[in-house]
Amino acid sequence: MSAAAQPPDPSSPAQPSGSSSSATAVGEAIVVRDLSVRAGSLGLVHDVSFTIDKGERVGLIGESGSGKSLTALALMGLLPDGLAAAGHVGLHGVEGNLLDLRERRRSVLRGNAMSMVFQEPMTALNPLMKVGRQVAEVLEVHDTATGRGARDRAVDLLGQVHLREPEQVADRYPHQLSGGQRQRVMLAIALANGPALLICDEPTTALDVTVQAQMLDLIVSGVEARDAGLLFITHDLAVVATVCERVLVMYGGHIVEAGTVGDVFTAPRHHYTAGLLAASDIDRAGPDGMLPTIAGTVPPAGRFPAGCVFRTRCGAADEACHVPPPWVGTVDDGMACVHPVDDRAPAGTGLEVADGA
Amino acid sequence: MAPDARPEPLLRVTDVSRSFRHRRTSLLRPPARTHAVRGVTMEVAEGQRFGLVGESGSGKSTMLRLLAALDHPTSGTIEFEGQVVSGRPERELGFLRRDLQIVFQDPMASLDPRMRVGDIICEPLIAQGHDEASRRARLDELLDAVGLPGAAARRWPHQFSGGQRQRIAIARALSTHPRVLLADEPVSALDVSVRAQVLNLLTTLVDQFTLTLVFVSHDLSVVQHVCDTIAVMRRGELVEQGPTRRVATAPTHPYTRQLLGAVPHLRAALAGRDAAALAAGATTGDRSQ
Repeated sequence: MSAAAQPPDPSSPAQPSGSSSSATAVGEAIVVRDLSVRAGSLGLVHDVSFTIDKGERVGLIGESGSGKSLTALALMGLLPDGLAAAGHVGLHGVEGNLLDLRERRRSVLRGNAMSMVFQEPMTALNPLMKVGRQVAEVLEVHDTATGRGARDRAVDLLGQVHLREPEQVADRYPHQLSGGQRQRVMLAIALANGPALLICDEPTTALDVTVQAQMLDLIVSGVEARDAGLLFITHDLAVVATVCERVLVMYGGHIVEAGTVGDVFTAPRHHYTAGLLAASDIDRAGPDGMLPTIAGTVPPAGRFPAGCVFRTRCGAADEACHVPPPWVGTVDDGMACVHPVDDRAPAGTGLEVADGA
Repeated sequence: MAPDARPEPLLRVTDVSRSFRHRRTSLLRPPARTHAVRGVTMEVAEGQRFGLVGESGSGKSTMLRLLAALDHPTSGTIEFEGQVVSGRPERELGFLRRDLQIVFQDPMASLDPRMRVGDIICEPLIAQGHDEASRRARLDELLDAVGLPGAAARRWPHQFSGGQRQRIAIARALSTHPRVLLADEPVSALDVSVRAQVLNLLTTLVDQFTLTLVFVSHDLSVVQHVCDTIAVMRRGELVEQGPTRRVATAPTHPYTRQLLGAVPHLRAALAGRDAAALAAGATTGDRSQ
């Protein structure tokens, strides 16, 4: 890696993480600075920095292959063999750098101080265990509750994710539940110990729209009730806009733009963000019925160009883009592009919020 | 849309039902049945872009298989240009295999990983009895039509991205000069930017080859973009049918309203429609905030 895409910003220096073991209501759920993931000599995620406050909901968007899931797995300490993370990750209530902790210590945090909901609930749940037992297990493993207490608490949690007749549901096996019900069980497990941070990786992609709507509501109310931070990974921009307050846009393992959902989606500055928005905005097809697209495809890992990772697909790229663009702005509100999208550009950028629905 | 002399719709579905028998669980009682499609009647005219919308379990995929005569109804009839295709043996369906083709959802599963792309695209032509020279000529045309380089023919499916694989699947479907293209969730496995590319390609090809399109999807916004007519299925039944604009703006069935209410929408979300409002919309069909 050459120059850092996101140098520490003077106006918002890297937070001394973990200093707040006395749980303050206002504070950071997670602080990530210069997180990188490598497979041997191949860099997959580069210098990712962001902060999620407690009770804050942050979206991470980008096409498949942009490094979203790897970032989440690195935070959770669940990277597959052969991949290594470097950088600094500070979690609320935990001393020091999460990445320096031994696996033993990290396993105590997983499912407790931080938890994750995956896309496919059928593979994440144990098919041989009743779901109530699986919720109770996460309470017992982390000594939150034991025996009868754990069972009662599990039923209570299943009720909180609006599963009807939670006592009966607790005695079912995953295959006896629908996809939406399984994903609710996953959410109940993830929220069981009141994590400081919940990571959701495409939690509703496999669900029907009506089920998705309810699931999104449960995720939002679940993290709100616990004052937890939420990192929500998806490629669906409408879902991010519905769920999150802030958004991080990722491409080629770099965060290319960050800011509030309102700012980023109405006035994107990076051309990749603008391209994603235009391609998503299915109501705004041209008179010939054509949708705006982003030229080309996401290159495979390791084949991204040097300099700006997006330059091979960008209409505005020129010589200046051959060197890595500096990060402009603060860590949580900025972008990395030397030819940012002009506010006065006529078309193809951002969304005008015209008539409500 | 249909030319004057032919008021006959291209596809006519009359009171079609399809039920599946479950495995026997008791010696005394008859096995349970699932009624996947129940009494569906609909017509697709030549040149129409017909969207079939529904959630999982609504019977939309079963309906698509019935339309393609890959499966046959328990009762009712399906006609293609006035000819009954339902219940007919495979050897009498050669014309349908030529005139009606399918693009499936998952291009990784629908392309044989052990065949080269050129062979995949030309396989329907072999089945239709075309000779090698005409196949090769057609292959170049097809690759060009779907925007793939000629060199793609010698490569394997795994060497292509999801969007490119879907282009290969579309090229294969077009190989026989079909008149009807059935697309089963063709973009739901794709990223937004690639989704836009594939939707644009479908729109272009449907115009270029004057195809009739039957587009099956769970995604109402995609169907609204692509189709001129929408039919909504729920639990095997057709609950609403009509021109896209009418169904989208003035849905009559409460389920259609719920479906429309549950779709996350960028502009509405930016205007303040949060997850709670979306969940409320999914149950009541209320699309205001």
